[in-house]
Amino acid sequence: MAIDDGSTDDARLSVANVGKRYSGQQGPVQALEDVSFEIRPGEFVCVVGPSGSGKTTLFRIVGGLEEATTGNVSLNGDSVTGPHPDTGIVFQEYHLFPWRTVRANIAFGLERTDLPEAERERRVADLISLVGLSGFEDSYPKSLSGGMKQRVGLARALAMDPSLLLLDEPFGALDAQTKTRLQDELLDIWARTEKTVLFITHDVEEAVTLADRILVMDSDPGRIHDVVDVDLPRPRSRTDPEFGEYYERVLEGIRD
Amino acid sequence: MTMATDVQRELGQPSETGVSRIDLDGRRIVLGVVGLIGFVLLWWVGSLFQPSYVLPSPVAVAETFIAEASSGEMHAALGQSVRHWLPGAVVGTALGIAVGVSLAWSSLLDDLASPIVRLLRPVPPLALIGFAIAWFGINHTGAAFIVAVGAFWINFYASYGGVEGVSDDLLDVARSLDVKGDLALVRSVVLPAALPEILTGIRTGIGRSWMLVVAAEMFGVPGIGREILRASNNLQVDVVIAYILVLSLAFLLVDIAFRLVQRRVLVWR
Repeated sequence: MAIDDGSTDDARLSVANVGKRYSGQQGPVQALEDVSFEIRPGEFVCVVGPSGSGKTTLFRIVGGLEEATTGNVSLNGDSVTGPHPDTGIVFQEYHLFPWRTVRANIAFGLERTDLPEAERERRVADLISLVGLSGFEDSYPKSLSGGMKQRVGLARALAMDPSLLLLDEPFGALDAQTKTRLQDELLDIWARTEKTVLFITHDVEEAVTLADRILVMDSDPGRIHDVVDVDLPRPRSRTDPEFGEYYERVLEGIRD
Repeated sequence: MTMATDVQRELGQPSETGVSRIDLDGRRIVLGVVGLIGFVLLWWVGSLFQPSYVLPSPVAVAETFIAEASSGEMHAALGQSVRHWLPGAVVGTALGIAVGVSLAWSSLLDDLASPIVRLLRPVPPLALIGFAIAWFGINHTGAAFIVAVGAFWINFYASYGGVEGVSDDLLDVARSLDVKGDLALVRSVVLPAALPEILTGIRTGIGRSWMLVVAAEMFGVPGIGREILRASNNLQVDVVIAYILVLSLAFLLVDIAFRLVQRRVLVWR
């Protein structure tokens, strides 16, 4: 696939020819092969694929948590070689700091900045109300439900005001009702903050509900198999026939 | 607002564990007291059939305890033991944690030190008494040294295990939030995450240190250990038991105090 490097000037995230090979027990495993795509500022992109399609590997490489074997990832023109403060990461299993309260979890990243104390406190307070956790500032993670934990995870990632929000199946462990609510809230936050979003999921319905564009991945080796632009106004209704058409199309892409 | 009710729903039902836990604690205390009374009764019955140099009665021991306590000898011995215990435990604990955390965090240091660790680890602290005497003499410092060695290993292994168990995911989170460098990661993630294990190590080490204090003093350094040895040589079993009781009480007090601190520090668990 030919990649025109000149086209990256307005791309916030550019993934070019990324491959990842692991040395497995039965020889090397090609987790990702020649993955290329670009995301424009403010765009909401979902990556869907079956398990084993290298979604999580892609997530870790874009987040700078792992290195690609081949290819290159760049964010706003900077090559991503490690975790990047301009990328906010949200994990499926939340990974909150259990010894910190809600407030202190969200403040974690800000503690290393030279923002004045008052400004930090104001930002944390804003984030707490943004994710609807007012009244739980001093709770520890152990006393929170899964949905609340993920709200904290989201706020913690937003605290550094990153331009890219990178989420790995963030609602995968939640019950259906909580999941739907958090999807709506994420869209709301996205609309308000104008972040660029890369959202990994295995849930087709979730992808069609959220994304401007869906990258459908294939397994063994993991690569992008299909790209679907979702041209539906928001809020989207799952009962809308057009929603169903997109759903079918993405599902076809996965089955092929 | 719907969000508020949602959050309340998600928070779940307030648990009733608070109430049942108090009941459980009460039950345990009552049973514990019953067990203790039973033990003393058995001891008393047993002492009726034995000469006092084999097993003195609880009453005789209590009398001796009061006599030793009021004569001031007990305070003096306890004071001396504390002078071995405190510096030994503090130095050994601090070094054990520092070395344990460093080796568990840095594979370079770990590889360098691992043969030495394996070589030294099986050495019982008391086997080092020769070094203690040669380096420090038969005195407070020598006894404190033995205590420090014992405390070191317990804390070394506890903190090593604690740090090894720290989840890589939490480290990833910290890195993604711009924490850079070993020192910053250790301070902001590794130490707090490993704190429960480290505190358990400290607590175990405190107990072990009291045992080592007594053992080290048996080599002639003044303190509870020497009193016990002296009384044993004179077949004054009542005195031996009285000093063992002092030891238990001292340990119990420190342990209770430490547990309070531990609970306080680990409220998040």
